[in-house]
Amino acid sequence: MDKTTSILKLKEIQASTNACVTIIENDEKTHEGLLSNIPVALKDNVITKGILTTGGSKLLSNYIPPYSATIVHKIKQAGGVIVAKTSLDELGMGGTGTASFNGIVRNPHDLTRQAGGSSSGSAVVVAAKAVDYAIGSDTGDSVRKPASFVGVVGTKPTYGRISRYGIIPYASSLDHVGYFTSNVTQAALMCDVLSGVDPLDQTTLPVCPTNTLETLNDNVSGKVFGIFEDVVNAVNDEETLKNFEAVCNALVKKGAILKSISMDEDLLRACLPTYYIIANCEATANHSNLTGVNFGLTQDGEDVEDIMTKTRTVGFGPLIRKRFVIGSYGLKDENQEKLFRQAQKVRRVVVDEFTKMLNECDGLIAPATSSCAPLLEGANTNVLSNTHLIAENYMVISNFSGTPSITIPSLPVKGLPNGINITCKVEDEATMFKLALAVESCVKELL
Amino acid sequence: MDKATILALATELNFSLSEEEVNNIHIEFESLINLLGLLEKIDTTHVEPMVYPFEMPLTQMREDKVDHEITQAEALMNAHVQKEGYVLVPKVVK
Repeated sequence: MDKTTSILKLKEIQASTNACVTIIENDEKTHEGLLSNIPVALKDNVITKGILTTGGSKLLSNYIPPYSATIVHKIKQAGGVIVAKTSLDELGMGGTGTASFNGIVRNPHDLTRQAGGSSSGSAVVVAAKAVDYAIGSDTGDSVRKPASFVGVVGTKPTYGRISRYGIIPYASSLDHVGYFTSNVTQAALMCDVLSGVDPLDQTTLPVCPTNTLETLNDNVSGKVFGIFEDVVNAVNDEETLKNFEAVCNALVKKGAILKSISMDEDLLRACLPTYYIIANCEATANHSNLTGVNFGLTQDGEDVEDIMTKTRTVGFGPLIRKRFVIGSYGLKDENQEKLFRQAQKVRRVVVDEFTKMLNECDGLIAPATSSCAPLLEGANTNVLSNTHLIAENYMVISNFSGTPSITIPSLPVKGLPNGINITCKVEDEATMFKLALAVESCVKELL
Repeated sequence: MDKATILALATELNFSLSEEEVNNIHIEFESLINLLGLLEKIDTTHVEPMVYPFEMPLTQMREDKVDHEITQAEALMNAHVQKEGYVLVPKVVK
């Protein structure tokens, strides 16, 4: 796809989906490489020099950064052309695409349904075939869940595989750069482009960039797919289960071995509250720099304190303010041990168990979400049900553990997209893409 | 969490909340308590908190060198009010 076609399509879908904050028409190819002349969209929490970067927040709705994120340089060095900054739930917080300062992002397959979040716009522009590559970020499942809801490939490589320098943070111990592509082969290519140690991000892995594309194939003969049994059991949509079974049977025909693997149910049910506490506590601290004094949508005030209070009141949406209050509550001296430290300890217990599960197979596989995308209005959730706590939110475990994880489109549910997720061992993106390619191939055969 | 605590936390966080927001947070917190109860069920005796996915030694030591400079104008370009190379805020000492 060329830049002109991409921009025309982005403009065409904007009115119906609200996928973009900014459409960029003046970027040109500067280098030759794996992405030569290929249009790429960036989630609007990726800092771009001289280009509006809002983080989905009204507070940053006038922010023009003086520098670019490392991944922007990598995309440019690979020949890519930046064509859009995409909508997101404010500061990456939210899983629905309904919490951005610039309005709701809609699912292009059914405009009455959620696109998922927080990387809503990036998911949508790939689903609408306006680009083949769009950057997102994934703190809980913010790439892999929207990928399932809009029917594209969503990848979150190993923690530290891709530099986060110049990405507006949410929760530093959970934040990953991820991305959306139209297929698994493109996902492998993008990993090779973006990965690598960055002196500007001390959390990047001190290893060479990946080279997954060169050896990519879908030969899964003898490979062990661990069926994440508890997740499957928590799905109550018959069509999702039937589709998942059909794909698993097709994998067996390709020579794969299926193995049922489980985790303690209480531990799985504790994952979402663990995430909620850790993420909100870290976010509260991370965003204390958004004061309006040096940058942002500054409000006039009588003194610096007053400027900060007025700016943060006007600039943050209600969801963010609520999350900061909860994060701050978790960090209070009297609650820190019971909530924040307990959540960090539960995280370790979960990761230890998850590592054992991964050691029993080449990759864990399960439905990415329990069904197709929920409706924007009237969606009803029982927050203590296993469907919500496990089937809808188990992918957060890969953020706890830093393990590479990918969502691939499966067979449709109610005529709408629905994904399958695969998670592999730390730094083993090569196996992850191989298993994902086999799933992609099975789905194509079954369609 | 009572409404006074919610308001006190908001003040510490440097933002205001409307009465409706305070009520909403208060109501939501009641259901959040049930969710947080799931954390208490996990036995974490002798478990150390996990603060990052991998506990690896920091090996990327490097020399300090200037390689990412922005100009004063760039540093100030997003400031609401600036004067003579500084961000201008109301007088602290009057």
